[in-house]
Amino acid sequence: MATEFKLPELGENIESADVANVLVKEGDTVKKDQAVLEIETDKATIEVPSTVEGIITKLLIKAGDKVKVGAVIMIVDEGKNAESKLVEEQHKAEIEKENNVTEVKTEPEVEYKAAPSTKSSGKKEIVDFRLPDLGENITSAEVANVLIKVGDIVSLDQAILEIETDKATIEVPSTVAGKVVEVLVKAGSKATVGNVMFRVESVVAEAGESETLEVKKTEIEEPLKVEVKKEPVLTPTGDRESLQRMEFENQPPVLKGAAPAAPSVRRIAREIGVDINKVPGTGPGGRISMDDVKAFSKKLHESYSQSGGAGLNIKSESLPDFSKFGSVNKVEMTNIRKKTADHLSYAWATIPHVTQFDKADITLLEKSRKDLNKNSETKLTVTAILVRIIVEALKKFPQFNSSIDMEKKEIIYKNYFNIGVAVDTEFGLIVPVIKNSDKKTLSEIATEMNALAEKARNKKIGLDDLQGGCFSISNLGGIGGTYFTPIINSPEVAILGVSRGNLEPVWNGYGVFEPRLMLPLSLSYDHRIIDGADAIRFLRFVVETLENPIKLLL
Amino acid sequence: MSDKIKLTVIGGGPGGYAAAFLAADLGMDVTLIDLDKNPGGVCLYRGCIPSKALLHVAKLIHEAEEAKNWGIEFGAPKIDVNKLRDFKNNVVNKLTGGLGQISRQRKINFIQGRASFINSSTLKIEKVDGQTIEHTFEKAIIATGSVVTTIPSLNIQSKRLLNSTSALDLPEIPKSLLVIGGGYIGLELGSVYQALGTKVSVVEMMPGLLPGADRDLVNYLSMRIKKSFAEVMTNSKVLEMRELVPSGKEVKGGISVKIQDDKGTVVDKVYDYVLMSIGRKPETKGLGLENTKVTLTDRGWVKVDKQLRTTDPNIFAIGDIAGEPMLAHKASHEGKTAVEVIAGHKVTFEPLAIPAVVFTDPEIAWAGITEEQAKKDRIKYEVAKFPWAASGRAVTLDRPDGVTKLIVDPDTQRLLGVGICGAGAGELIAEGVLAIEMGANVTDLKLTIHPHPTLSETIMEAAEVFFGQSSHFYKPKR
Repeated sequence: MATEFKLPELGENIESADVANVLVKEGDTVKKDQAVLEIETDKATIEVPSTVEGIITKLLIKAGDKVKVGAVIMIVDEGKNAESKLVEEQHKAEIEKENNVTEVKTEPEVEYKAAPSTKSSGKKEIVDFRLPDLGENITSAEVANVLIKVGDIVSLDQAILEIETDKATIEVPSTVAGKVVEVLVKAGSKATVGNVMFRVESVVAEAGESETLEVKKTEIEEPLKVEVKKEPVLTPTGDRESLQRMEFENQPPVLKGAAPAAPSVRRIAREIGVDINKVPGTGPGGRISMDDVKAFSKKLHESYSQSGGAGLNIKSESLPDFSKFGSVNKVEMTNIRKKTADHLSYAWATIPHVTQFDKADITLLEKSRKDLNKNSETKLTVTAILVRIIVEALKKFPQFNSSIDMEKKEIIYKNYFNIGVAVDTEFGLIVPVIKNSDKKTLSEIATEMNALAEKARNKKIGLDDLQGGCFSISNLGGIGGTYFTPIINSPEVAILGVSRGNLEPVWNGYGVFEPRLMLPLSLSYDHRIIDGADAIRFLRFVVETLENPIKLLL
Repeated sequence: MSDKIKLTVIGGGPGGYAAAFLAADLGMDVTLIDLDKNPGGVCLYRGCIPSKALLHVAKLIHEAEEAKNWGIEFGAPKIDVNKLRDFKNNVVNKLTGGLGQISRQRKINFIQGRASFINSSTLKIEKVDGQTIEHTFEKAIIATGSVVTTIPSLNIQSKRLLNSTSALDLPEIPKSLLVIGGGYIGLELGSVYQALGTKVSVVEMMPGLLPGADRDLVNYLSMRIKKSFAEVMTNSKVLEMRELVPSGKEVKGGISVKIQDDKGTVVDKVYDYVLMSIGRKPETKGLGLENTKVTLTDRGWVKVDKQLRTTDPNIFAIGDIAGEPMLAHKASHEGKTAVEVIAGHKVTFEPLAIPAVVFTDPEIAWAGITEEQAKKDRIKYEVAKFPWAASGRAVTLDRPDGVTKLIVDPDTQRLLGVGICGAGAGELIAEGVLAIEMGANVTDLKLTIHPHPTLSETIMEAAEVFFGQSSHFYKPKR
């Protein structure tokens, strides 16, 4: 029975996609969920799994085609009827005697297991390791370090790459095992999710989990198939060779997607910082005139000033040639530094910051903290205590646990309590988030904070650990200082800065100045949503709770 | 301290001198280093210019011969090789001398010598006068170009084995010549020797001449060459070469060559001379790049970005050494772009079309996308062709062996590529390049009045063919 396999829905608003790779050919047997296509959408390269199974009798697409959702990709003979299929296939095989169609000619059962059978009968197999999904919206990253080389034996979950994303440096664990035969990335190169990073020759273990009994049976019956598998591995190299021979293989693919605009127009656009490809052309065939560029640029500026992005579009002043004044060193910004710079500039430019200061008397708190630490394995820290207090403060003042959507003119209140704690690492500022702090005890929070900070310093932190914060705490007290004005970690709306506690003479009300340990606190808040009076109330609550921790129980 | 940018350009070819001259015009303090006495590089001394001088002569000989058909007979030409060589050398000297003068007028510090990097701001220069100096710079542009490639196994020591450089020196007019490589250099030089009376054979590994160019353009050339050349062997390769030592009367000098032809048969042939012209490659050795942060691509070119910056912030690279296409006009444009970048202008190298011209007879030229490329990249296109047999001007020249074709985006009717084969195609292509750069569509070409009777009309008529409305070529729109 012939069934059509159509390109399924690919997700949000994707109507069509480019076929990057066809992973099957006519005559192949496909299983349900076997990847049959690799398609490239705007966002990523995706493997499309089959929803049908059987023998492919007709393949209607090839690499490079544009395919609409719903278009027929292949016709599959859903072979319950083994007899007729066999006849048909034999017939076909006769026509293309020399081809490898022989593979299909065997017993129907075998066909189900075509892929695993090659695996076991071939003993060795080349397996690609592709860069896995790195988390939301990350499509590519810079390779910071390659931890393997050709000839190495890698095992599952062994760290094989260090990659630097916008947010952090992450180690990527291997999902394949075997001997590395080819490494396709190097430090400093850009890696795209879905691209092949390296290839291993995997020696297939006899008792692989996925290999069923039937597989072993097919192994005996079909020793032929090893060659079939080899084909796709060999073709690309052949291609490359022939390319190199071409003498005029040298024209750059210049016209691909180039906007129809005269050189002078393109240059002006570049000079004034307009992406020519985004300018709508009013001429015939969408040709872009100088006026189109100017109109587009004017519109851009208007929309910037409307969105209130005060100063976001400010051109950076040109720098003087510093080397005229003395010797300098130039170092490229790391991704974390770039991201920090962009993120903080954005927060600084879009959020009207106000910082409120106060001091808390932590003499008693410190005494009992130190006492507790003497007999306990987990060491309580002031920051851990502050995390706990902030949770209570957020419960009391929910506007501090919110975000603003200026486009929709909405305030989003959060009913969860994830507190970020800034950590200073040698490769930049990182803010790990302690999830659901309201459900954790003080010592749990302290333990988790230590673990996260350790992970951050060892570059082991996952993106998950850095996302979803509600409120941040930045404690610089360990280093020193009296007060500072922290910048809000947008889209959060407030941040607490903690400086060093100092012994100060405090008037006790009974005619004596007493030495008290005073902790300076700075609360920066988003004045769009938080009023000054509320900010003082919030900070007073924090101060009073520090001075009188019993308030936590109220 | 002077606030002028101190720029050093290594290599005085069309990329290097264009960069140096513009830099001087923009007020930089410029040093230009080259081994030759004057700027010019391979292009002027050993490439484009001398070969074109000789090809001009070749064309004249052919036309004189063809004049027979028009009732004029000149008789066989008498060729004085020495005088011809002088003419060629004079052309070279005039042009390179002119560049030297312009360079001095621009107050460029021209150093004749060989430079290599000591670090990212210092060069060691071995001057041709024997002196070695150290030279510091703020910015440097590497423009040292490329060298001829050889097949090592065929690299025998013989005066009879020529490369493109020695072939241009016209050692003598050989009786027979084998050209290894059916690319543009081999065919251009082969045509020169053929016109001078040599029996020329070509051997090419690929199935056709000029691999990479559109077949419909190459066909006219192939047809003519098959008639004028002694032999064209495609799908064939040279396995072995050996110089024959003259001994008495039986064996004259020459090179014995083993060739495997398209059927796989191996034949032995003897030629007076052999010209190996299988291409050029970037030459990065000896530049001391290892002392800088400059890195190379997998295929040996210096790695640059769209602003021609290498991976060393002080160093730029342009021309052949920075990647294909290895063409003089690409190099000049890159050179100027690099200098503008150094001057702080916000520019990149972003041409929509880089024309390629093969100066054979007939000439072949194209710009923008080729049909082969469009097919490979799966770009939607439509072709409109105007055969020169329908061109009045081509017929008056008795050269109907040509075609002008446009490659068009069917959706927007925008011009994506132009290909021309025919006498003077190299001059005609410029209009196509401008049209592509301006984002012109077919209607623009159709509605632009072209002078009559000229070959340039073929571009307008090809545009008319697109609409099925060419005055001189009836081909209704399907």
